[in-house]
Amino acid sequence: MVTNHDTRTRSLPKAILLTLPILLLMALMVTGGQPVPTEPIRLIPLIVAYVFTVGLFFLIVYTGRTHRYRSVLFVIYAVAFVMTFIPNLFELRGSMAISETEMIQGHTPFCHMVIPMTAIPAALSRTIIFPGSMLEGFAAIGSMLVLWLGASITLGRGWCSWACFYGGLDEGFSKIGRKPLWKNIDRRWTYLPFAVLLVVALASTATLSPQYCAWLCPFKTVTEYAEVTSATTLVQAVVFVSLFAGLVVVLPILTKRRTQCGLFCPMGAFQSFTNKLNIFDVRIDPDKCVRCGKCEKVCPTFSMDEGSIRRGKTRLTCTKCGRCIDECPKGAISYHVKGTPAGARPRLARLLFVYPAFLFLAIMGSGMIQGAVYRVLLLATTGRLVE
Amino acid sequence: MVLANGFLLGLASGGACLAYCAPVLVPYLLGEDRTMRGSALLVGSFLGGRLVGYLAFATMAWMTQVALVQDLPHRTIVTGVITVGLALLLIAYGFAGPMRDCRTSCASVAVRRFQMPRPRLTPVLLGLLTGASLCPPFLLAFGSAAQLPQLWQSLLFFIAFFLGTSVYLLPLPFVGLAGRHDAIRTVGRLAAGVVGLFYLYSGIMSVIAGIQ
Repeated sequence: MVTNHDTRTRSLPKAILLTLPILLLMALMVTGGQPVPTEPIRLIPLIVAYVFTVGLFFLIVYTGRTHRYRSVLFVIYAVAFVMTFIPNLFELRGSMAISETEMIQGHTPFCHMVIPMTAIPAALSRTIIFPGSMLEGFAAIGSMLVLWLGASITLGRGWCSWACFYGGLDEGFSKIGRKPLWKNIDRRWTYLPFAVLLVVALASTATLSPQYCAWLCPFKTVTEYAEVTSATTLVQAVVFVSLFAGLVVVLPILTKRRTQCGLFCPMGAFQSFTNKLNIFDVRIDPDKCVRCGKCEKVCPTFSMDEGSIRRGKTRLTCTKCGRCIDECPKGAISYHVKGTPAGARPRLARLLFVYPAFLFLAIMGSGMIQGAVYRVLLLATTGRLVE
Repeated sequence: MVLANGFLLGLASGGACLAYCAPVLVPYLLGEDRTMRGSALLVGSFLGGRLVGYLAFATMAWMTQVALVQDLPHRTIVTGVITVGLALLLIAYGFAGPMRDCRTSCASVAVRRFQMPRPRLTPVLLGLLTGASLCPPFLLAFGSAAQLPQLWQSLLFFIAFFLGTSVYLLPLPFVGLAGRHDAIRTVGRLAAGVVGLFYLYSGIMSVIAGIQ
């Protein structure tokens, strides 16, 4: 029997040919244009990251499955980020906790989660309400804003499935277990991220401080948190750990969905609006669709419902992860370039989206994977995770 | 003079008042399906409640002669209790509201049964509790009003202060127009609940701090 996916498979020579641009670009990206290092502890991570990312792109092109291989890289990228970031913090300051003095000195790394709550105060007062440096390295405010802007134009909310170094964590946990134990989630909760966005934007503007970072970020648990020195910072730490345990670990396992991304993340809600600017979207061909509802059941971010299927589109919150496209038994769902007829040349539309999206993920991910493999080798050779 | 002082103090600190009131009022306005007139009425009810809160405190200010402002432990307890009341109201409005017609197992029977007893009074209550929650501009007014020799002067001062701060809230009925879309209404209600959770924490911490 010929399945939907068999019809999407490309011939081997064609798949190799289509992988060539990524092969060359990634060679440039993983080396950073520098000579290849000769010490094994630097060379091995580079080779691992290169072969791994290029290999996954080849599989995406060859098999016609986007989500399956994107997801592997996305989850490993998130884990690698944590494995790289935490030892870096220990090297810098000997702890994951940041003191008030260091915050005042502007040593807090900036991450994209803060963007929605800094946008309004920045527009009103020309002040970025974040204690970080503007132009100092990867985690500086300037570089993160440029990265985010580039990804938003290219991917829209695809950022959340192809670039966000946190999304991979709840995607990873959502893959544990075979079937969801909790299926009936009231769809009204899918509006909660927009509510959280509204509240943090209002509260941050009112107090001129990044309220999401101070109170709600689950990822403080696995990155950096304010030093616990008072009842308030203790409560904040308890909130971070509880949110991480609930939204990133337990609920994804129970529901097999990305609950932090789909039910809480205000950055994701903010990013949803960039889907309107982005030229790619996901469309459903009404002639092929048999209303089996499988896409609705598997969508990790609750971006498909009866209404959206009827309209032949995803909801605004679609992260373009490709899961529904992979799973649709009739091949009725495809990536689409806005302005072209729906369902027209879906393979080409997919390639046009996957090239920049994968490149973004691979460039960010390969750096983290190199860092993580380096840490593992360092541990194996010296017995220490930090230099 | 009393009127001018109160009004000018209100105008000068109205921005801060907006910052304190907007997180309560904006989600509430978005959560209601109202016309421009309806939204203006809601803001009016909210402001009315706030005025009642102000006048109650004006009376108290005059009677206690700043004693409450200077008595930090009792002040934090009073603030905390009022904030907890405000928080509970917001949580009930935000989370019980969207769940009223929830047909799935997610909403417990208790939550589904919970209904706002007098929805028409909600904006008045929100205004009353927000007005009485001792925000920094309010404390300024409280201190000034307490120095006045007559009760009527204290009341007049607070009325003028209220008018001065209300100027900043006048554009808010336009926000309410967005609540005509189902999705935005749901977002508004949930946002009210989230604000309520934050206030609940703040209120409890204030009470604990006051007791300690």
